Amino acid sequence: MAGETVARGLGLARPGPRTSLGIIWTVFLARLRIILRYKGAILGESLLPVVFAGLPILLGIAVAGDEQTAAENFFRTTAGAGQGASDFRLYMLLGSNTFMVVSLMLWLIGYWVRREQETGTLEALYLAPAKRLHVLAGVTSYTLVRALIAFVSAMVIGSIVFQVNPLAGNFPAALGYLILGIPALWGISFIFGALILRIKEANSVIQLLQWVLAFAMGVYFPVTVFPALVRYAAMAFPPTLMNDAMRSTLLGLTSIYGPWYIVLGLMLMAAWTVPLLGYEFFLAVERRIKKDQGVGQF
Amino acid sequence: MNLRAEYPERPSRDIVKYVGACGRGTMPEPIIRVENLSKTFMSKVRKKGKRERKQVHALADVSLDILDGEIFGLLGPNGAGKTTLIKCLTTLLLPTSGKMWVNGFDVHKEEDKVRASIGCMLMGDRGLYWKLTGRENLDFFGALYHVPKAPRRKRMDDLVSLLKLDEFVDRTVETYSSGQRMILAFAKSLINDAPILILDEPTVTMDVPTARELRHIVKELNRQGKTIVYTTHLMHEAEELCDRVAIIDHGQIIALGTTAELKASIRTEDVVEMEGIFPEEAVERMRAVPGILDVGAVAMDSGLTKLDVRCRDSRAMLSKIIETASGNGASIQFIKPKEVTLEDVFITKTGRTLSVDTRVLGEKEAPRGR
Amino acid sequence: MHRGFGLARGGLRQYVETFVDMSKKVFVEYSRYPIAFIALFVQIFLIILLFIFSAFAFSSGEPGDPRVTTFAGMMAYGFVTNIFLSFTLWEVGFSIREEQVRGTLESLYLSPTNKFSNLLSRIFMILSWTTIMCAAGLGLVSVVMGGLPASNVGMGLLILVFTISGFLGLGFLFAGITIRLKETAQILVSFFQFFFMIFSAQFFPFSVLPQPVLDYISRWLPVSYAVDLFRTTLLGIPPELMPGNYWLEFLIVALFGIVSPVLGYFGYRAVERKARSAGTLGEY
Repeated sequence: MAGETVARGLGLARPGPRTSLGIIWTVFLARLRIILRYKGAILGESLLPVVFAGLPILLGIAVAGDEQTAAENFFRTTAGAGQGASDFRLYMLLGSNTFMVVSLMLWLIGYWVRREQETGTLEALYLAPAKRLHVLAGVTSYTLVRALIAFVSAMVIGSIVFQVNPLAGNFPAALGYLILGIPALWGISFIFGALILRIKEANSVIQLLQWVLAFAMGVYFPVTVFPALVRYAAMAFPPTLMNDAMRSTLLGLTSIYGPWYIVLGLMLMAAWTVPLLGYEFFLAVERRIKKDQGVGQF
Repeated sequence: MNLRAEYPERPSRDIVKYVGACGRGTMPEPIIRVENLSKTFMSKVRKKGKRERKQVHALADVSLDILDGEIFGLLGPNGAGKTTLIKCLTTLLLPTSGKMWVNGFDVHKEEDKVRASIGCMLMGDRGLYWKLTGRENLDFFGALYHVPKAPRRKRMDDLVSLLKLDEFVDRTVETYSSGQRMILAFAKSLINDAPILILDEPTVTMDVPTARELRHIVKELNRQGKTIVYTTHLMHEAEELCDRVAIIDHGQIIALGTTAELKASIRTEDVVEMEGIFPEEAVERMRAVPGILDVGAVAMDSGLTKLDVRCRDSRAMLSKIIETASGNGASIQFIKPKEVTLEDVFITKTGRTLSVDTRVLGEKEAPRGR
Repeated sequence: MHRGFGLARGGLRQYVETFVDMSKKVFVEYSRYPIAFIALFVQIFLIILLFIFSAFAFSSGEPGDPRVTTFAGMMAYGFVTNIFLSFTLWEVGFSIREEQVRGTLESLYLSPTNKFSNLLSRIFMILSWTTIMCAAGLGLVSVVMGGLPASNVGMGLLILVFTISGFLGLGFLFAGITIRLKETAQILVSFFQFFFMIFSAQFFPFSVLPQPVLDYISRWLPVSYAVDLFRTTLLGIPPELMPGNYWLEFLIVALFGIVSPVLGYFGYRAVERKARSAGTLGEY
């Protein structure tokens, strides 16, 4: 039986909701400060989707022979898959932009864990009494803000470069779907963050995963072009759902999942089940690592 | 500087007076208690292209109490298990078996409270965000330790002043030297004013004046009531700072007690070396002094005489030896008391020096000399 | 008087032995990252497939449309040059950064080993593995597509060797820039990756670029000629940039392959000398 509790120190008082919010805000602010000190890092996120949209656009025009034929051929191909779209430029821009948001989540959360492990700050975080959930909430809030800023700025720049008008469609609704889809991305990132804690080859895992997701999401084409088994597997991915919801809203297409209320329902379900599962998985792996070697082992 | 102005100062106590003294005053309660703690790792070894898995017993059935208000030293070579023990206490690592309580909280069941009870400096100069300034790092970790905003700001200012961080605290950590990072890491460990401070080799990479200053601060913090767990390789640090010391080797505590007790456990006499001119009478008079066991004299080439004076306690006898020698016509040119050190204790107990790396990837050897 | 082990020997033999030892070190390092190997292969395969599917989306839909095959081939072979460029910039340029952060760069500089052989050994292993992965990726895509055109393979490989050599020069230059700019170099590398992706038309034919872009940017980049010549040779069609003058384009590519590494190396040594005199070599 240990001696009486020596109740000294500033941190032993029971932390209330205000303190918890304070932790979330502190973590958010710290991450923001850190990224602002990497010159030019944020600029890349606004330009990258434009470059990635440009590649299939230019390739497509080359294949078709000219712009008009490209639009006709693209419409015919996508109509055959149930989502005829003539504005292939906006289609590609939206797809690559959504892909960038997905990548950003993987890097900002999945890779963040590994980076903290390498620099030793992960142990420092684990030594503090702040709940892991609050720290993660701070990190995820930061990723949400960064993703939104990157998405909007990339859409603006891409619209100017490719001379498309995203506001012709329901842009606020598309943005709403993006915000609704991000929690599921957090969940996927927690899962991969946990795997990275274990495997430690962060760069390779994330680079591989982001291209698998790009393929499965149908960044440049609808997933209905895939064979049945691959198609259903792709449709089960939350990022595919998010991409399709945004695309159908912005381009006035029929979603491959059905009417808008089914899409909304599926997104709401994904928004709370996936992060919950991801977080539980993260905790389970973390516990395993603490039994093995400790979280600081990098 | 009183770093704990918001709490009443604890009366100073002489821990030595209480330890092991049955019936003489009240024994302070343990603030950290460890019972039968064991930790086993599975280690992968590559030998000639093959991979083998071996069990490594990093901690084997360790039990100890750390008393409230003491400075407790953990000594041992690399790979002995010091860091593993610290990591288990600070919840970073789950033990294989055993129980621990920190500040009255069960480490398994009340992790958050345990972490709130401890200020740590474990990772050396790592564990800081390079792209944040020193001040921003302190603010960040202060928030994570639930330190409210106003006291946090004040505490940061106090720490900046105490540790002389003014020159660099507003620069990003990536511009710091390794010594500056260590000082900042130390400041970080103090931000939450926890009752327990765990410092893992804090003076590594510090220059001598800074290390001395840090030790002075550690003593001051202890005077103000903090319990301090201090791991180090440096004998003089342990002897200077620690009320009690545990020597750990191959995952087991092989010796535990005050420095005086540990030294007394291996040797019953000290030696005082002297060089000079010593008349026969001076030597005979010294031999007759109570407490002096023997005096050996050897003539040196330089014409001086070398004396080895064997006694029970060189510190207690030194002034008497000098007085007797000088009072009987001796001219002392050089004097050097040779005391038992903690390294001598370790060598006696284990047969090795503290500088030998004991990370054995294989069958654990039983410690020798117990 | 014993002069120490490192002082006694010298010459080509020691140089080659050091190169072999350092290559082995890189190989052992990378073999302990098995997931990285698998990830690289899968990435190459997926990216090529992604763009081929995009090409299909714009095709006329006629079975065996030759335009699709040609442009898919352009994309696939152009992507191979993109992979080599990316890896040269990242693995050569950024490996210096990693060594800087870990502190092993200073250790390397403390040894009498030739710095160039350190770079070369790393390059040799990475490029060997990348070549195998690209070949495997293209083979798999060929199976999926029912065949990728592959004419004049020998000539294509020679052009690829010059191309890679030219890219190495860029890699050395970036290694020097990394020593100087540290973390900012990462952003610069990304920028140049995407710059060449667009303006050297690595994923699409040059014909779709606006004429002013082609005349005032693309034609001034040696990388453009390397990309153009490599893929058109393998596809068995005239080059796009100089359709009537294959051998002039070949000369440009050959010169790029010979001159670029020399210039790049001297650029790297100049920056390195400056860092050593400023004492910033170990700073990260």
